[in-house]
Amino acid sequence: MKKKVLAVLLAAAMVLSMAACGAKGGDAEKSDGGDSAEGGESKGYSFEIIVKSFQSTYWQAAVQGIEKACSELGVTANSNGPANESDIADQVQMLDDAIEKKPDGIGLAACDTNSVLDSLSKALEAGIPVVCFDTGVDNAPEGSVHATVATDNVSAGATAAENMFPVIEEKIKAATTSDQVRIGEVNQDATALNIQQRGQGFIDKMLELCTGAGKKVAVVGNEFYVNATEGAVAEAEAEVIIEVGVPAQTTVDLASTEAQKIMSKDDTIAIFGSNQTTAEGVITANQTLNKLATDPEKGIIGAGFDAGTPQKEAINNGQFIGSVTQSPLMMGYECIYTLAKICDGESVEDIPMEGYWYNTENMDADDIAPNLYD
Amino acid sequence: MANKKAFGKIKGREAMVLGIIIVMVVLFSLLSPTFRTYPTLVSVLDNSYYIALMALGVTFPLITGGVDLSIGTGLVSYALIGGYLIIHQGTSVAVGIIACIGIGVLIGVFNGALIALMDLPPFLATLCTCMITRGLGPALCGGFGVSWPSAISETGAFRKIFKFVTADGTVVPIGIIFILVLVVIMSFVLNHTKVGRYTIAIGSNKEATRLAGVNVKFYHMLAYIISGLFAGLAGVAYAATYATIYPGSGAGFELDAIGGAIVGGVSASGGVGTIFGTFLGVLVICLMKVGLPFIGLQANWQQIFTGIVLIVAVLVDVVKKKK
Repeated sequence: MKKKVLAVLLAAAMVLSMAACGAKGGDAEKSDGGDSAEGGESKGYSFEIIVKSFQSTYWQAAVQGIEKACSELGVTANSNGPANESDIADQVQMLDDAIEKKPDGIGLAACDTNSVLDSLSKALEAGIPVVCFDTGVDNAPEGSVHATVATDNVSAGATAAENMFPVIEEKIKAATTSDQVRIGEVNQDATALNIQQRGQGFIDKMLELCTGAGKKVAVVGNEFYVNATEGAVAEAEAEVIIEVGVPAQTTVDLASTEAQKIMSKDDTIAIFGSNQTTAEGVITANQTLNKLATDPEKGIIGAGFDAGTPQKEAINNGQFIGSVTQSPLMMGYECIYTLAKICDGESVEDIPMEGYWYNTENMDADDIAPNLYD
Repeated sequence: MANKKAFGKIKGREAMVLGIIIVMVVLFSLLSPTFRTYPTLVSVLDNSYYIALMALGVTFPLITGGVDLSIGTGLVSYALIGGYLIIHQGTSVAVGIIACIGIGVLIGVFNGALIALMDLPPFLATLCTCMITRGLGPALCGGFGVSWPSAISETGAFRKIFKFVTADGTVVPIGIIFILVLVVIMSFVLNHTKVGRYTIAIGSNKEATRLAGVNVKFYHMLAYIISGLFAGLAGVAYAATYATIYPGSGAGFELDAIGGAIVGGVSASGGVGTIFGTFLGVLVICLMKVGLPFIGLQANWQQIFTGIVLIVAVLVDVVKKKK
């Protein structure tokens, strides 16, 4: 008897909490609608936006941009995304559900560029235009994706190398095969296209700059990046070594171990963390090593990517010389504008977004600050 | 007499694990000159705090013959909610920490109720709470990651429990003292209090324990509450060490803790285990997590290697028992 009563009570508690959550969701949607009614001429389009996850605060800025564009245009957008960037199947399901709702358009940041192909065909059949943002889908069915709003990751990675090189130039010029210098890079993984391009963009640009300074470069570490790099020499013949670390899982603790492994070596002069997690890994490793500095004579030069409180503090404290930010806010914003243009019957094209270098000097500038989420 | 024998066996296990730790340290030090430095030692300890806390707690359900799979996603979820209260709701850090631990205890109560009172299999019940906690944090906090106050800010003072930096920049990993104190306390609880003795008794023979007049349901439930409490503490430790909490992460953390406990001699079928053994087992896991990258093993091989070491550790136990 007792057991049954308890079972009923627990069941009731669950139903109540579900109802509470449901009510909360409803309120949020309503307030979205309210916002859009206030802004300018109402076009009344409704869009479904699928982001990669809400795992990093990066997407918070994207949603800000989406909401800003919605209120300016008088349209509504419902944002959704899986719990984790690796929950590929969940995202495909969300995309299919979004298509079922028959919105005026869909904005998509795909977790896995191959898994969404079937759904994109469905959207094409249903006549729903899709705009990809953040990540492009290269082999999308003809006509399904109308435009892509994405950071050019190769050039964003290169931006980090271009800004790091002048600081360590003297050290690189002084390097010899018997007295090598090491530049580290920590990448979150070797599978996602944007991380691959960004990591490779940094390596290729650094290799080009070092070669320009008359030095030979070797790339060591993670097999993917070692094999993908062209123009590198064997470790023994090189004056400059680029060491690439990739953690076994995408957590800050494992990323920090990879960073620590590289930063512990005596010949390391610089290190680059190519996204928020790995940049924080570098910062965490430095908490015990205390080696990062803005002067190459005093320590290791550090640079990061994206934002977040720890990284912004590292720049203000002189641990990082600077970082590259994408503009998630502008990508979300442009995505909604592009979708609205398609609905208005205007022609649209891809919008490549730059990576912006930021440091203590321009962190508060109007065009940079909104992207530097906490 | 039988008791004494069991006791002796466990001691032998602990000595063996200690031997494994020494062999690993020597091996990694020989293979990587940068491994045998003070910062690397600190890093191993940093890595161990949250895993050790989870493992101390999960040892209790394991000894009852159950398991708690909700601790990994749980700790992330609790730390996320605590951080959200501090950063976005403007509460004090103390409130955030209490919330983090408190929600852990609540989930422990929930697990305990499902398993001890409603007879759900522990694997199934905690698998469900694992899913619930995975979604709970992001659902309550708007789905975004959150960074706890940094060590340099005034409100970040709680981080000094785990890592103290002296004026000349030397890092003192005092978190290990905190962990060792808890190891001593929980060892006492497991071996010298009713709670501990009944936990072991439930794992050895639940029916006999019930017939002996013990309130089995209460003590069985308590094992999961202890596990939840320590998952909450682990959440605080994780936030103190790594600052930013990412929603959706944490799946797999529990395996490090459970793996550590098993390596340390806790029997997967219940009834046997020590807190000190669990602690040593966690050190083995953490040494591998930090050491394998240092000797140049790449990501995929690290995971394969860790799996193989776990199999060997359990196999040694099985072979020994058969003898």
